[in-house]
Amino acid sequence: MRALRATARNAFAEAAAKPAALAMQMTVMMINDFAWVIFWVLFFDRVGTLGGWDRDSIIVLQAVLTTAGGLSLGLLANGRRIGVMAVGGDLDAVLALPVPPLPFVLLRRIEPVNLGDLAFGVTLFLVACHPTPVGTVTFVLVSLASTTLLTAFLVLTGALAFFIGRSESGELGFHSMLLLGAYPVDLFAGAIRVMLFTVIPAAMIAAVPAGLVGEFDAGRALALAIAAAVFTVAATVTFTLGLRRYTSGSVWTRA
Amino acid sequence: MMPGRAYTVALRGAAHRSVLDGGGLVVAIGFYVVIVGTLSGLWRVAVDANGGDLGGYTAIALTWYVITSEAAIVSVNARHIEEIGTDIALGTVAVELLRPASVLGIRVATEVGRGIPRVAALWGSGALLATVLSGAPPNPATLVLAAPSLVLAITANLLAQHAVAAIAFWIRDAGSVWFLYMKAVFILGGMIIPLELLPDWLEHISMLSPFAAMAYAPARLASGHWEPVLIATQLVWIGGLAVAAHLAFRAGERRLQVVGG
Repeated sequence: MRALRATARNAFAEAAAKPAALAMQMTVMMINDFAWVIFWVLFFDRVGTLGGWDRDSIIVLQAVLTTAGGLSLGLLANGRRIGVMAVGGDLDAVLALPVPPLPFVLLRRIEPVNLGDLAFGVTLFLVACHPTPVGTVTFVLVSLASTTLLTAFLVLTGALAFFIGRSESGELGFHSMLLLGAYPVDLFAGAIRVMLFTVIPAAMIAAVPAGLVGEFDAGRALALAIAAAVFTVAATVTFTLGLRRYTSGSVWTRA
Repeated sequence: MMPGRAYTVALRGAAHRSVLDGGGLVVAIGFYVVIVGTLSGLWRVAVDANGGDLGGYTAIALTWYVITSEAAIVSVNARHIEEIGTDIALGTVAVELLRPASVLGIRVATEVGRGIPRVAALWGSGALLATVLSGAPPNPATLVLAAPSLVLAITANLLAQHAVAAIAFWIRDAGSVWFLYMKAVFILGGMIIPLELLPDWLEHISMLSPFAAMAYAPARLASGHWEPVLIATQLVWIGGLAVAAHLAFRAGERRLQVVGG
């Protein structure tokens, strides 16, 4: 644990080494997130309430999604790069260290631009979601669960690259999850709805947590926790098994 | 080799490589199908909840709109601005200056060549999906205009990306700019929402922006609206963007030759 804490501290120090660049990148991402909020506001202003979703509830969804996205893609930035690292042979340096590889890889790098997501999500919740003490605690807990699920999904899809030899699965998983996660799941039916809860559990990283912030439901909260746990186990197993097929690229500095 | 022939060779070579990259094409189609399946589903629900018409679009029209607007944008590398900026910062462009042809011309021709097979594959998949999910095109005759409009859309997009990426000649890092550019394409370009559904003031701004030539124009045509003026508008924007990109690259290249890469 000490080694992992030191790794995280180093990653923070690296990200904070250029404060002006950090601020610039965070600002750009916040503008990017704001554009999505504008789209949803325009959409619901035009079409009214749909499937129980309206302008206020979609803003909560965006707050949860950007907060979880910021935590996962910002603080655990290598989660998105597992596939590229596996195919490129970039894991040599990690495997030589006396630390568990997966946690080390995840904590090793911070992506400054995605810290903008985190800042935007928290700000959006505080400014536009009418926070109450209970609602704030729920927001924090569901955001953490959502972060766990998103990170696990990214590691799982990325680690498939160990087996299929191409890294696109990780990128596809990343884009699918974030794009689909932004949608209010109750609007969909049939196969798409099933997919959003299972194969690409996008509903679980934003719509379900956002629903819990609005109205807590023990059954849905349990489902979210189980989904996070199942994907975490699946990601860890896939990554560990994948390492056995890993081929060195003699790259020692990029992990 | 004459520059014109060099551009043709670059375009054809890139198109050939794009076709041969079957794996990459399959992944792109998979990603595209997920996006358009979801986004068009959202719009169909919205139209149904609003009495079958939203801003003059039916559910079928909006489905065809979405599959076309997304094909126009997804077929072009979203991070191209960032990559051009990296090439400028690393000096790759300085090496390209040694060729007896325009750096900008070769790069745009290559990317258009890469984009044409992709947009054809994506739109073909999207058309199949739209027919299954929603129905046949609302006015098949307009597809005759939509097809060339898609090629013009990716050309306009690539020229604009080069014009914007040229900023890297001066600031060295265009990495973050592509986020903002893509968001402008998303909304002002009508990629995820038809411009007629925006508030009036934003609709007017969007219609006058170059972004409308990159997604809205082909999508509007594919959704059953016979409006050839959209093609003319795209051609005008392509001319304007080509001049802007040319001037930006010429100034940047001159700076590169004077102060080094």
